[in-house]
Amino acid sequence: MSKKNSEKDNALDLTAALRILQNAGIEDPRMLSEDSDGRIQFIINALCDLSIHDGLTGLVNATFFHAVLEREIHRSLRTGRTCALMVIDIDHFKHINDTYGHAEGDRVLQAVADQLRANLRNMDTAARIGGEEFAVILPECSPQDAVQAAKRIHLSLNPLTTTTDQHAIRLTTSVGLVWTDPSIPAKSSSLLSEADQEMYRAKRNGRGRLCYKHADPTIVSRRERSALMAMEVEEGPHGH
Amino acid sequence: MVTKSAKAHRIAVISGKGGVGKTVITANMAAALSARGRRILVVDADLGLANMDILLGVDPPFTMQDVFEGRRPLEDIVLRTKKGFDLLPAGSGLPMWASLTTALTENVTSILASLDCRYDALLFDAGAGVGDVVLYFAGLADEILLVATPEPTSMMDAYATIKIIHQLDKRNEFLLVVNQADPAQSARIGRMVAKHLQGVMSEFLDAGAGEIPVKLELVGAIPQDPAIPESIRQRKLLCEIHPQAPSTQLMNELAGFLNTRMSAAPVGVS
Repeated sequence: MSKKNSEKDNALDLTAALRILQNAGIEDPRMLSEDSDGRIQFIINALCDLSIHDGLTGLVNATFFHAVLEREIHRSLRTGRTCALMVIDIDHFKHINDTYGHAEGDRVLQAVADQLRANLRNMDTAARIGGEEFAVILPECSPQDAVQAAKRIHLSLNPLTTTTDQHAIRLTTSVGLVWTDPSIPAKSSSLLSEADQEMYRAKRNGRGRLCYKHADPTIVSRRERSALMAMEVEEGPHGH
Repeated sequence: MVTKSAKAHRIAVISGKGGVGKTVITANMAAALSARGRRILVVDADLGLANMDILLGVDPPFTMQDVFEGRRPLEDIVLRTKKGFDLLPAGSGLPMWASLTTALTENVTSILASLDCRYDALLFDAGAGVGDVVLYFAGLADEILLVATPEPTSMMDAYATIKIIHQLDKRNEFLLVVNQADPAQSARIGRMVAKHLQGVMSEFLDAGAGEIPVKLELVGAIPQDPAIPESIRQRKLLCEIHPQAPSTQLMNELAGFLNTRMSAAPVGVS
């Protein structure tokens, strides 16, 4: 997530942050302003940051991800532009944890997060939504651009090798991609479920793969058609 | 025979173009596999325009859609045919279950999970075209058996189907049955069609170094045979009315080929 986007979202979440302060025993946060200017804002920003981010990877957390997805689906309906959603799951992550330990597993999660950050636009949102499951929201992104973005991210993660003094861990990820139909209202949970299904299809098909719901719109090119028909003319099945 | 806990081998029979003989081949292949001792379930995966029941001469009282809508338990739906295999029938003219929705995929996933361990193989008789539902069933299958005729339109659709599934699932292996071939040279025509398609696939679908080449394996070529339209009219299988017909023999050979590929280990998801 970009800094700009992060600041905007923090500003939207001030009320929630105040609630967190109150829950922490600071009944009247205004009292703090008497100590030093800007201290409240600092605390609120820090709390907002904590409340929306995953501490390990620095990506946004599942709660905030769902709120952003809901908002982007509404935006897609309003603007008529598709919003894409990717779900990314590290293959055999349990094996990595069991074999190399949780500290190494954490490093793997951080490495995946780094790759996501490096391959996204400022307006995109990358989240860690489960143990080894990540999601990326690509707002205002055409299906063609979404496929290109997904291929880029998929390529950066397959394979991904993390190295330490003791180990070199080579991992793969399965990626599912879907996008909204801006003419049809959709629930964020349904879109996420569809993306999950594509990700599981990638798993079933051998892992380390990218699957998306819709086919490339340019199915058979003119050159391919010509090749098929040319062979038919030259040595067609009915010829001798 | 596979053990009870093993996952059934799933074979999707697809074509792209309609009317090339998918349903006839699926039904006769199912019977031939059953005759070899395999426990076979034919899934009528043409959810919008199902007609496997018509071909088999049965009239199922309930269909998959009754399970989807909670009117019947799955046990009431699976039909034991007299051909040696079971049928999971689908309804016809039910557009709401003919498109891919989360409700549909959840229902199908649940049904297949319940049935997987009871059979050695599930044969998906898919609809024509490359719609979402066809591609969904293709994605669930261990094997794709493509049916094509030697006509240019069928070959074009077969190629488009291969290309789409290759793109979507990154699948690199396809099986091919050439149907309705000239009886005088059916084997040669089968090889020719396979060669044509494989040539274009190699030229356009193989991404280059490091990628696994997309491979099309010819399983058999079934000749035009008057026994086939006659069997359809009588709503019977070839083996029932013309056990010695050339097409019957080739269906048996096809079943023999698939029989040897059905030792695949269960595939889990984690």
